[in-house]
Amino acid sequence: MSGQARAVNTDKPTGNMMRDSALGLVPETLDHYMGLNRTIWEGGPLRPADIELARLRNARKVNCVFCKSVRYDIAKADGLSENKVAMIEDDFRGSDLSERDKLILAFTDQYLNDPAGIGEELKGALRTEFTSQELVHLSMVVAHFSGFSRCAVSLGGMPAELPVMEMSVP
Amino acid sequence: MGWISNGSDRRSTLGVLPEISLAFDVLYQSLWKQQHVPPAVLELCRLRLAQLHRCDVELHRQECLVPDTKRDKLSQWSSLPLFTDEECACLAFTEVYAMDAQALTDELAEAVKSHFGDAGLVMLVEALGILDGMTRLSLLWQLPASSEAQECAEQRV
Repeated sequence: MSGQARAVNTDKPTGNMMRDSALGLVPETLDHYMGLNRTIWEGGPLRPADIELARLRNARKVNCVFCKSVRYDIAKADGLSENKVAMIEDDFRGSDLSERDKLILAFTDQYLNDPAGIGEELKGALRTEFTSQELVHLSMVVAHFSGFSRCAVSLGGMPAELPVMEMSVP
Repeated sequence: MGWISNGSDRRSTLGVLPEISLAFDVLYQSLWKQQHVPPAVLELCRLRLAQLHRCDVELHRQECLVPDTKRDKLSQWSSLPLFTDEECACLAFTEVYAMDAQALTDELAEAVKSHFGDAGLVMLVEALGILDGMTRLSLLWQLPASSEAQECAEQRV
């Protein structure tokens, strides 16, 4: 991964993290990107803690240092603890996470590792635990945040490590 | 009908969440209207992602016109003079992106920037994130390729 940023936004800072990032170089899509981001958080049936679980699992798998370090305040307010976050590792199936949480992580891994290979057992378990609306929401959560993580990784310039930082949905 | 909902294509699957579906659609359409990377180049990248993911649904989809010869020879892009330097730079970037974004090199990024600038590189990675995501969801949702082709035809009417 490149330590050097591959695209730089030299415009005057606005105070908005996304607008001041390299994404601000393409204003034609940024507003729509931010609009979708907010709707992903607020416009579907999944709770913020569920969304954050999937987002952080993706962040770890894609290895986006920035995404891994962020905790959204609405997810923390919804009950996502650092204890729970610590269980989002590759051995999550043997953790104390609830079955619902484990299914969220299994779905995320399936999307990232082998989307075409989803088996009947996982599909059945997902359909038992989640409504159709929740599964479509989870799909869009993972696709959206995975795209964002890959975007950040592709543009380079991330440090090797960052401290955990809490933020609001931009 | 997919396993995840009663939807039979992307639009009807997303339709169970109207607010998210609308926000996504607005963003998706903006990819094909921006000025930084020609839509035809993005379409070649989208089709190459579909080939690499072996996703028939996305291969049947058509977001903008590209010459049939380029569509047919896309898997051989690196060895044919048919493709322009701009297209080759973006396709080379796309192929590595599809495998592992962490494996992208500064050289691949510079090649894209030499044609489209910093904003073009940002546009490309933003688009790849969305296009790769939709390709993965088409596979995960197990959508039938025939209905996606029908969806595209209906949108063009």
